[in-house]
Amino acid sequence: MKLDMHCEMILDEYRERLPLFERIKNLILERLRTCLDENHIIVAGLEARIKTEKSLTGKLELKGYKYHTLDDITDILGARIITFFSDEVDIISALVEKMFDIDWDNSVDKRKMLEIDRFGYMSLHYICRIPPSMCSDPAAPELNQIRFEIQMRSTLQHVWANMQHDMGYKTDVEIPVEYQRNMSRLAGMLELADEQFSRIRKEIIDYRRNVQSLVASGNFDEVPLNGDTFRSYCELNPFKRLVDKMATINQAEIYDDSLMPYYNVLIHMNMKTIGDIERMRIECSDGAYQLALIQLAGTGLDIIANSVALQNICIVQILKQGFGEAGLVRLFAGLYGETPYNAQRAHRIFEQAQKINLVNCESI
Amino acid sequence: MNVTITNQDNKTLVVLDGRLDTSNADQFQQDIAPLMEGDKPDIDIDCTAMSYTSSQGLRLFLMLQKSVMARGGKMVMRNMNPQVKEVFDITGFSNIITII
Repeated sequence: MKLDMHCEMILDEYRERLPLFERIKNLILERLRTCLDENHIIVAGLEARIKTEKSLTGKLELKGYKYHTLDDITDILGARIITFFSDEVDIISALVEKMFDIDWDNSVDKRKMLEIDRFGYMSLHYICRIPPSMCSDPAAPELNQIRFEIQMRSTLQHVWANMQHDMGYKTDVEIPVEYQRNMSRLAGMLELADEQFSRIRKEIIDYRRNVQSLVASGNFDEVPLNGDTFRSYCELNPFKRLVDKMATINQAEIYDDSLMPYYNVLIHMNMKTIGDIERMRIECSDGAYQLALIQLAGTGLDIIANSVALQNICIVQILKQGFGEAGLVRLFAGLYGETPYNAQRAHRIFEQAQKINLVNCESI
Repeated sequence: MNVTITNQDNKTLVVLDGRLDTSNADQFQQDIAPLMEGDKPDIDIDCTAMSYTSSQGLRLFLMLQKSVMARGGKMVMRNMNPQVKEVFDITGFSNIITII
């Protein structure tokens, strides 16, 4: 179909403005990316596109009579932010409102448009302009006049919208009622799944906060040992006093290192709660210091890693429990993997520990 | 201490021979300075003939590993004799540096 003269003029305007659209596209992508980073928001997708000439021609063929100028078409340039969770759409929309000038009359919250008994497309569409405070160019005043669309939706909303689009659901061809009903059922299911994902995430966050507060309050026996609780426990610096004491042996510098590699070792040592680790810390700290003393004194080594405290505590616990050299080999294998050094090291430490009576001779 | 640095495939091989202590730590730092840059960060350090390392040596190995990791590479130390390995063990550096 050939376009009428009015539509051809709009198309010419589009061709002229393409470089400007490209400039705005890059600007909004860059600003959105920076904003998300600054607010520590990880999204599933951030994309932008300029409507192709072919697509615009199709639009003009169908309803060119509705538009006086190119400015009346607000989706020539569109960006999309896809969140992992549906409740993040509101957070991101608040950021978008702060960044851009919003044309409220033409912005749509499709989430609020559906009837209570309808399920379907749920997305938030803002029609925006670049505010002069963000960027202005006297040579291109249109920079602040051109409107563009920002769509915000969750991953599942995005999936549904894509499926719907792919199946030609919104074409002029009438879709039989049974298919419409099936699409609605699917939309309802995804809406429910979206809500459940958000709820589960909130419950996990609440659980972590609760555990952190239990750890901070010292109710260690009530806190099961897992990766999160061990991390919270380590943040309390429970081994600092022992490390500081070990450092005084050679007036050593302390190098801060993660204790997380010890998590699996502690699980293998049958620690069930943070309270179990705390008891081990209290009961084995003296022995751990004695071991460090015999190892470090006179060596002149004036740098130690903070993990050396927990390392020696574990060694003392294993020896106290009577697991002997074999227990130490297992400890080192858990920390460093199976290496030929493990047996040598276990033997050396076992001999040192015997000298300072750290070894329980009633071997298990 | 003698330091031999060669490139093989996509990694750098470093062979250490002798004691690394206060007397030669500065020289060692200069020797490894070129390894702190470049786009082939993987380093394999052969310690078969290394007889001892002091704290200064530990600090330099730590510095080298940080540089390697910052560029997305891996540093491995291998074939340590028991005396050298003990220095890494008792200071907790075995937890920090990959020793095979």
